[in-house]
Amino acid sequence: MKEPKIGVYICHCGGNISDTVDVAKVRENVSKLKGVEIARTYEYMCSKPGQDMIQRDIKEHGLNRVVVASCSPRMHLDTFRGAVKGAGVDFRGAEKKGALNPYLLEMANIREQCSWVHDNKESATEKATALVRGAVERVKFNEPLEPKTMPVNRDVAVIGGGIAGILASIELADKGYKVYLVERNPSIGGHMAQLSKTFPTLDCSACILTPKMVYVSQHPNIEIIDMAEPIAVNGSPGNYEVTVRIRPRYVDKEKCISCGECAKVCPVKKFSNHEEGLTQEKCIYLPFKQAVPNSYVIDKDLCLWFNKGVCRVCEKFCKGKAIIFDQKEETRQLNVGAIISCTGYQQLDPSLSKEIFDGWNVFSQYGFGLHPDVVTNLQFERLMLQGLHRPSNGKPPKKVAFVLCVGSRMDRGIQYCCKIGCMNAIKHTLLLLKAFPPAEPWVFYTDIRAHGKGYEEFYSKARDHNVKFIRGRVAEVVPNGDNLILRAEDTVLSKQIEETFDLVVLSPALLPNVGTGELSKMMGVDLGPDGFFLERHHKLRPVDTKMEGMYLAGCALGPKDIRETTIETMATASKVATFLGRGEISVSPEKAYIIQEKCNACGECIKHCPTKAIESTSKGVIINSISCTGCGICVPKCPTDAIDLKQSTDAQLMAQIHGTSMEDGDKPRILAFLEKTTAYGSADLAGQTRVLYSPNVRIIPVPSTGRVGLKHVLHSFASGADGVILIEGDDSPFREDNLREHVNSMKKELSKFGVESLRVASTTTTLPQYDKVVNLFQTFNDRISKMGRISPEKRQKIAEALAGGK
Amino acid sequence: MKRHSSHHIKAEMTDPTFIEEIKKMPGGEKILDCIQCGVCAGSCHARFAMDYSPMQILKMAHLGLKQDVLSSSTIWICASCYTCASRCPRGLNIPAIMSGFKNMAMKNNVPAPIALKPKFHKAFTEIVGKYGRMHEPELQIKLLNKTSPSELLHNASLGLRMFRKGKLKLQPSRLSPATHFSEIYNKAMNKGENK
Repeated sequence: MKEPKIGVYICHCGGNISDTVDVAKVRENVSKLKGVEIARTYEYMCSKPGQDMIQRDIKEHGLNRVVVASCSPRMHLDTFRGAVKGAGVDFRGAEKKGALNPYLLEMANIREQCSWVHDNKESATEKATALVRGAVERVKFNEPLEPKTMPVNRDVAVIGGGIAGILASIELADKGYKVYLVERNPSIGGHMAQLSKTFPTLDCSACILTPKMVYVSQHPNIEIIDMAEPIAVNGSPGNYEVTVRIRPRYVDKEKCISCGECAKVCPVKKFSNHEEGLTQEKCIYLPFKQAVPNSYVIDKDLCLWFNKGVCRVCEKFCKGKAIIFDQKEETRQLNVGAIISCTGYQQLDPSLSKEIFDGWNVFSQYGFGLHPDVVTNLQFERLMLQGLHRPSNGKPPKKVAFVLCVGSRMDRGIQYCCKIGCMNAIKHTLLLLKAFPPAEPWVFYTDIRAHGKGYEEFYSKARDHNVKFIRGRVAEVVPNGDNLILRAEDTVLSKQIEETFDLVVLSPALLPNVGTGELSKMMGVDLGPDGFFLERHHKLRPVDTKMEGMYLAGCALGPKDIRETTIETMATASKVATFLGRGEISVSPEKAYIIQEKCNACGECIKHCPTKAIESTSKGVIINSISCTGCGICVPKCPTDAIDLKQSTDAQLMAQIHGTSMEDGDKPRILAFLEKTTAYGSADLAGQTRVLYSPNVRIIPVPSTGRVGLKHVLHSFASGADGVILIEGDDSPFREDNLREHVNSMKKELSKFGVESLRVASTTTTLPQYDKVVNLFQTFNDRISKMGRISPEKRQKIAEALAGGK
Repeated sequence: MKRHSSHHIKAEMTDPTFIEEIKKMPGGEKILDCIQCGVCAGSCHARFAMDYSPMQILKMAHLGLKQDVLSSSTIWICASCYTCASRCPRGLNIPAIMSGFKNMAMKNNVPAPIALKPKFHKAFTEIVGKYGRMHEPELQIKLLNKTSPSELLHNASLGLRMFRKGKLKLQPSRLSPATHFSEIYNKAMNKGENK
């Protein structure tokens, strides 16, 4: 390494810093440090004259490292990185000599985390000196780094062929991207294909959906892979490999002309999925008339040939010779740059409800399964399309009750609102009145939620049609001969209602679709507490996942209606196009890497990586620098010290720890390692709100508190610290339980050196919870002050142990 | 304590500490979870005899209308059949809350709209405390001066029928001491008193 020539620049910040910190004293203190070539103070370092000063010094004094002590790096890191990079470049950008790599700059935060949170000038100056000294020691070990770029694959895999998947595919295919649309069922279309009309416009669902399905099937950029499910997802952002398993259809899609001769002769009947079990169809069936691909399919579980080895009648009657009984399951690998999960929802079904509600079947309370005239709202859609009738006797129903919130908004199980039940029921009342004017619809609701565009007006329309809206959750539905007795409280009148109905329509809760959990594990993305996919940020990144290049749309994210799904899908397509459209992705160089000579391929790091970036290959363990988020959790987990993290190397961290806590004096000092985005931002926020805390607390940013190992904590105590705090951001992959476990194991080790476990504290925080952070600082400082400083002998013992390589 | 006759709910009628009191009762912890859906009221078999529905009682409790809650007939009529609790989407133990209100009303000397009810409860617990089991004739004797003649006549014929079927014993039967019933009973009573 070249002899370091460091320039230190201390900012007054127009009094923001210099009123509380004696900047001249700090300059004097740090200019004595080894390696410091020059130290200056200036009114506004970030201004043009300030930046010019740094650039001039780099040229004239040949500086090869720079430390700026000013505001938070969250504020001006990019500014000063630009300044050192621009040094030596004249206004034409021609002269490059003397420019410094931006990673050779360090910042010390002496505003948000010093002058704004302390009021005693002497101790603030002392702390500022310590922070600058830490940065000076650290910058000596900084290395020049270059961001990497990687070409991205421009193809996209869309998982799920409902309305969200269809629209996402069209949107991206029209933009010129190749799309693989992976659908589990024999036809695309999803739940929307089952609907009669849509609210609030009463558009015919098939009329707006089926043209899109046809468009998808004819688009040169879209390939539909039906009867297929992903079984593995590998690779990194921009270059994923999705392995799909394709189940056999036993019918050649190309040859089948959907004449239906096969179904006529097939002897086996089964309940139709598309008709929600209300009618039967043959074992060789067309999912529905407008199905895409428009081809018959054999249900293997019921077919006589597959179960008893007889029949094959369909084969004999097929004019196109399209039936292939020996078709085999295939797997196929899709190489794509991005993945969109549009896996949708499933309705709470009676058998599932037992699991969700601790053995209690919510449906039985409403008579579902006890009487054929108790149906779900999806079944009612099919009844409308079949020609409205009661399933029990085929006559049109006169009095119909719509029961909302079946299984939704519960204390246990499904806490959320299904979001479509209210509007769907209102739609059904209007359709019912149109189909059978003497009908008498009653809607039993908990709260009518008419939140979308035109929804309140739609609700008004139903009221104008004299639909009876009863505010009260239904207590029970009891079969009574041909009819059903429904009991509920009209909570507005505070009177019990007991009425006889011909048909009861339930609005069951919506759940994440079957397999959502498995897919999320394959993709390495999180599910929320409701079991749906979790977005990166509720407000600002609502269709992103925590993984770059993986996106979400529609009911995979949570229950929603078609309009909202469409909007989300457009957003997703736009995000994907932006991601892939650049052609390459730039990757921060701040990543973990393996020191192959030390690695013994034990695989410990693989277990702890939150983004599945580490792989064991024939060439040894490799970290994928694209998927790695640079959190550094793996580094302390390595038993042989074979991993390090660029721009947060062990050498840098150890030097900064030493520099920040080494001075003489009898005041206790506390090192606080804060996760650099959320937790560090929270501490900055405390500064912005001018909440005071003890200057004994000195903050060191780390990519994640998982980066801080036992060695660093021991080194802190050996160097002069009397307490250590770890604070993690609550959105970090290093979760609260990980942190607790990490800290507990460190405490155990510390006790071997006679360091009390009370000298280490940890917590997690969100950005706005700065009072939580400050409270911890204060109570911890009180505790450490009471406990007193660690004896020099103990420090000596720890230092020796560390030097001995323990 | 008098019942409010005003048509308006005013701040001075409300007791802000009431909800905290309820939260401390067994079963009352989750009272603020109520979404006023009405399942409890719609399910209640004794609803017809109540002045307020269980849902209304919960709402009144939220608002802190302590006097109205404690002087309502609802809390005394609740038969603790638990139909509402088994159906409540928010998992509220409504009968337990009603029992808590009964205790609170007796402790605060709020007269029950059905005068017999508190006396019945007292007599009931006394007898159970004594024998570990119910002894119906003694219960009837204890409540003799509180029962109307027509009710007495009705009860007498019921008692006769029960006696013929061997459901009624003239001598009280006791739980064996080995069950430690009295210890449990005393502990529960003390705990109740301390609350």
